[in-house]
Amino acid sequence: MERSDAEVMPIKNDQLSAMMMKMYENSTEAIFFFDKEGTALALNPAAEKIVDGEALKQLIQGAEKAICQACRGYTSEKDLHTCLNCYLSSSQPDDFSSFQVYLETKNLGVVPYAATFHTIDSENGIRVFMLRNLSKQFKTQEKLYQNTMMKDVIKAQENERIRISRELHDGVAQELLSALVDIRVIKYMTSEEEVLKKMKQTEATMTRLLDDIRSLSVELRPAALDDLGLEAAFRSHFKRIQQSYGLNVEFTSNISKNRYGSEIETVIYRVCQEAILNSIKYAQVDVVKVNLSEQEHTLHLIVQDEGIGFVYGDKPIGTGLGLFGMRERSEIVFGDFKVSSVIGKGTKVLLNVPVGDFPKEG
Amino acid sequence: MTIKADYQTEIDRIRAATGCDIIALALVETAENQYVLKWQYASGNLNDRFKRLVLKSGRGVAGLVFKTGKPFLLASISEFVDKENLFNYPIVTMEKLTSVGALPLYHDGRVAGVLLGGFRESQQMTEELMSRLLEMSESGIGDLDGKI
Repeated sequence: MERSDAEVMPIKNDQLSAMMMKMYENSTEAIFFFDKEGTALALNPAAEKIVDGEALKQLIQGAEKAICQACRGYTSEKDLHTCLNCYLSSSQPDDFSSFQVYLETKNLGVVPYAATFHTIDSENGIRVFMLRNLSKQFKTQEKLYQNTMMKDVIKAQENERIRISRELHDGVAQELLSALVDIRVIKYMTSEEEVLKKMKQTEATMTRLLDDIRSLSVELRPAALDDLGLEAAFRSHFKRIQQSYGLNVEFTSNISKNRYGSEIETVIYRVCQEAILNSIKYAQVDVVKVNLSEQEHTLHLIVQDEGIGFVYGDKPIGTGLGLFGMRERSEIVFGDFKVSSVIGKGTKVLLNVPVGDFPKEG
Repeated sequence: MTIKADYQTEIDRIRAATGCDIIALALVETAENQYVLKWQYASGNLNDRFKRLVLKSGRGVAGLVFKTGKPFLLASISEFVDKENLFNYPIVTMEKLTSVGALPLYHDGRVAGVLLGGFRESQQMTEELMSRLLEMSESGIGDLDGKI
């Protein structure tokens, strides 16, 4: 086997050393060679690039442990930055086949590197120390972490809203309703004018209070969304929008009573809610068009106004979190979220969510 | 309230007396309509859109007055409300108001309605004008006796 490999790829010693030299010269990986005392024997251009002035000078001059000038410790099981059991002088060099080290760099401050440190010439005790910049990978990881975090937060928030909303609707509002019925009964038990008048006032107050609690419950999380589906929840939401803000919503839909996964329904509902609220806040319009349709296993939501529009990327008037939140929510259900806006023409929010492969609920 | 009082004539009169650009009157609706609070009469209004609003206790100009039972003066709306929060005051945007004052109308010791006076030019609504409106409301408007 080895023989045939050698035949396919005959590499002569001088070719190999030329390639090794090229790698040493041009690799983006920083390479240091150390003798058994920890004195630098050589370092490649990539390594020279990252090490700062004074440390570099000492390294080149071969000062003992010059690398310590730049090193800010490595990551052990116990510490993020530590010098305990240093890789340079460790009695168990095998432990340093792969680890993370922090270096003070020329222009970028302290940067994390993925490092390997191993002996390549046991006779002379020569060891090689190779570094790869990790900051980009760290950023990717952080982003990933943020994304999963955000999704968990959204889910937790939604669940908490469901809980409080149910409690208000099934508990508080029910109790209040039975108290209200009692008051109506009492009205028939007396003919005293004064009492009747007072009762009527109380009844009015409690009716409004009941109404307030119900709308609080619906605002937190509409029960209609779980019980009746998107279209019904949308219709009652738009009615409330009209009553509270005087904004007319022209709603068209072809999904009728179709049900989708509760996660999908929640995302569609919340994104639409947010988009309409944006129109109310910023677009200066009194009509918003909403279209909800299912085509080829994809649910399409379009929220469109003919308002003043905005320039994407401009400093937002509000927090700017609304758009961010809508995109985050869309990603939970693998949705495709788009916003297009033209100054003076209006804003269009598009959300496409695949629904074909998901089990239908409800 | 068997005979419907002529609120319209009264608020027209109030507008003429105070020089307001708009006078609006919100009243609690009947039992059949769940006793909701709505703008029912207006004088000097641009359109009737705001009459479709259902006013929520504690929200917006009328809601705050209805809940607290205290007068509420916004001499300059732009100074008091940020632009992005203006949507919470729909009557202000719909009627393009810049200066408003609102006060509770009492009946039988309860807040039964809200009277709003507004201008489309800033700083027109003053403490002085508010107290004049207050005087008028205390002497009773329509069926409301004005008694606290």
